[in-house]
Amino acid sequence: MRRLPVYLLLDTSGSMFGEPIEAVKNGVQVLVSTLRSDPYALETAYLSVITFNSTAQQITPLTELASFQMPNIEASGCTALGEALWVLSDCVKREVVKTTPEVKGDWKPLVFIMTDGVPTDDIKPGLDAFRQCKFGMVVACAAGRDADTNVLKQITECVVSLDTADSATIKSFFKWVSASVSAGSMKVEETGREMGGISELPPPPPEVNIVV
Amino acid sequence: MDDQTTGMQNLDALPVRLPNATQGKPYSHASMRLPKTEGCEFTLSGHEDAGLSALLTECEDCYELTIEGTPAEPGDYAIVLQCKPAGWQEGDPLAEKRMLLMVNPNPRLLWRDIPTPENVPFYKPDRDNGAIAADGGKRVIAASQRGRSHAQEGKPRDDHFQLYHNPDSGWYVLAVADGAGSAIYSRRGSEIACHEAVAYCKSRLTDAAEFEGAIAAYQCTDDEQAARKAVGNHIYSIVGNAAYRAHRAITDEAQVVESSKPKDFATTLLLAICKKFEFGWFIASFWVGDGAMCIYDREAHSVSLLGIPDEGEFSGQTRFLTMPEIFADTASLYRRLRFGIRPDFTALMLMTDGVSDPMFGTEANLNNPDKWDQMWDRLQSGYPEDGIGGVDLDSPRAEEQLLDWLGFWRPGEHDDRTIAILY
Repeated sequence: MRRLPVYLLLDTSGSMFGEPIEAVKNGVQVLVSTLRSDPYALETAYLSVITFNSTAQQITPLTELASFQMPNIEASGCTALGEALWVLSDCVKREVVKTTPEVKGDWKPLVFIMTDGVPTDDIKPGLDAFRQCKFGMVVACAAGRDADTNVLKQITECVVSLDTADSATIKSFFKWVSASVSAGSMKVEETGREMGGISELPPPPPEVNIVV
Repeated sequence: MDDQTTGMQNLDALPVRLPNATQGKPYSHASMRLPKTEGCEFTLSGHEDAGLSALLTECEDCYELTIEGTPAEPGDYAIVLQCKPAGWQEGDPLAEKRMLLMVNPNPRLLWRDIPTPENVPFYKPDRDNGAIAADGGKRVIAASQRGRSHAQEGKPRDDHFQLYHNPDSGWYVLAVADGAGSAIYSRRGSEIACHEAVAYCKSRLTDAAEFEGAIAAYQCTDDEQAARKAVGNHIYSIVGNAAYRAHRAITDEAQVVESSKPKDFATTLLLAICKKFEFGWFIASFWVGDGAMCIYDREAHSVSLLGIPDEGEFSGQTRFLTMPEIFADTASLYRRLRFGIRPDFTALMLMTDGVSDPMFGTEANLNNPDKWDQMWDRLQSGYPEDGIGGVDLDSPRAEEQLLDWLGFWRPGEHDDRTIAILY
């Protein structure tokens, strides 16, 4: 079966401590609960969580939605976004099945990055590794006013911003993510193609602003 | 610090996680080990809501808690483990461990089957089947079923098939077509493609003495190249033209239907004609698009694909009958035609990618006879583990069984499915 890999890259630096991190945890839970009731996503979507603070680590390997369990997330430390990109490309190389003459490989992964700050490491090595992988759609979300959308624009054209990193706003971002994953898993099933750009995503809620 | 307090205080910190359950599937999880403390009484609640039972077994140095049963309803269930220490009295604090048990919905129950509204333009039934009786020779069965992704949204079936047999001439004509998911009237495109192609073949095969003479000459000639060319010209004129007529009929339809273009009717077409002669079976075909069409011979352990599936690097990038380049020149049409003579075979099969993708997945597998053996076996055995029956090829109801068989389950494979088999 061709899986639709979905990677969540979540900023768990110290600035996320408190309400934001609780909102992110809640958001991932909402995402999973919503997708589990969508037959397309339940069958095809696989989810992985990579967190980054002073270092980056894959805390949930690519897991089918039905077996996904909420990982423990705590906020502390800096914002190693560059390392997170490096970890992401490493995971994609290891986990995403390539097409061979005998087996049709996985669909190209969807990636959702969420950060509330400015990277504290050099993102260049990670960015280079990231650019060598093929992705279906990469959405980067700048949560709150301290996030740097210019850095995110180097990663992907699809950058959105949240005015505040409160729980209601973060929740609506994750609802939009789950609608996007639903749309993506339906599209591969119906047309045999991945989503091409932000215009194919469901319209974002008012709290989620598209950064042009 | 004695054991009792350790167990009590750390109950909430126990690294206990319940694996997710699935609605309707037996669940059993026994790895919960609880510290054994004298006089301590454990109780579990919340599991009954999920339709599960809990069992506490005493081991040498611990208690083992098993949660098992078959959850009936999906949802998130809060399961609470409480511990009453020895000498506990009403009002004393309890140690507590809260756990989340997620019960996934059964994905098969999430798929809805919404009938297509009969007032949609170019309505066709969501399911169809057909057959041609054996008539002393071979028999044909065909079935077509709307995919679950369409059923989920009450959208129509885009696939189509058509069968024809003339007992007097002995010719069979089989057509299968898959309307493109992205084209709004593709269900009509596939229907026109099948009707036109079959109708044209029918008209040309009613009295085909010259064509049949060329086939007989080809079969016994010394000058194979010349004889092959002669048959090839007939095939080009009959089968190639049938495809072209179908292409034209769709173009005409696009002019009649308001503000539509031929690409709104985009469809694949797999077309085969065949007849039994005393020297063997003559089979000719035209194929544009994805799916599969082959002659399968079980005894010889061989499979001959009647063309090359049009697939790009990525699935879904197929060619369609409606594209002008298919008929741009003689060579491009000719390379989609095949013909040959075979002493006998197990089955001639035509199918849309809704069947060939889950069965084969890649072109390499399509050329692998082992994979066709597996499919042929599965066709007859069905999928008893999923409640899908097989096809008894000798049964007078084989085409109905084939239609039911098309409902086989494969995660992520929910396209319309159509298959025609001559055997």
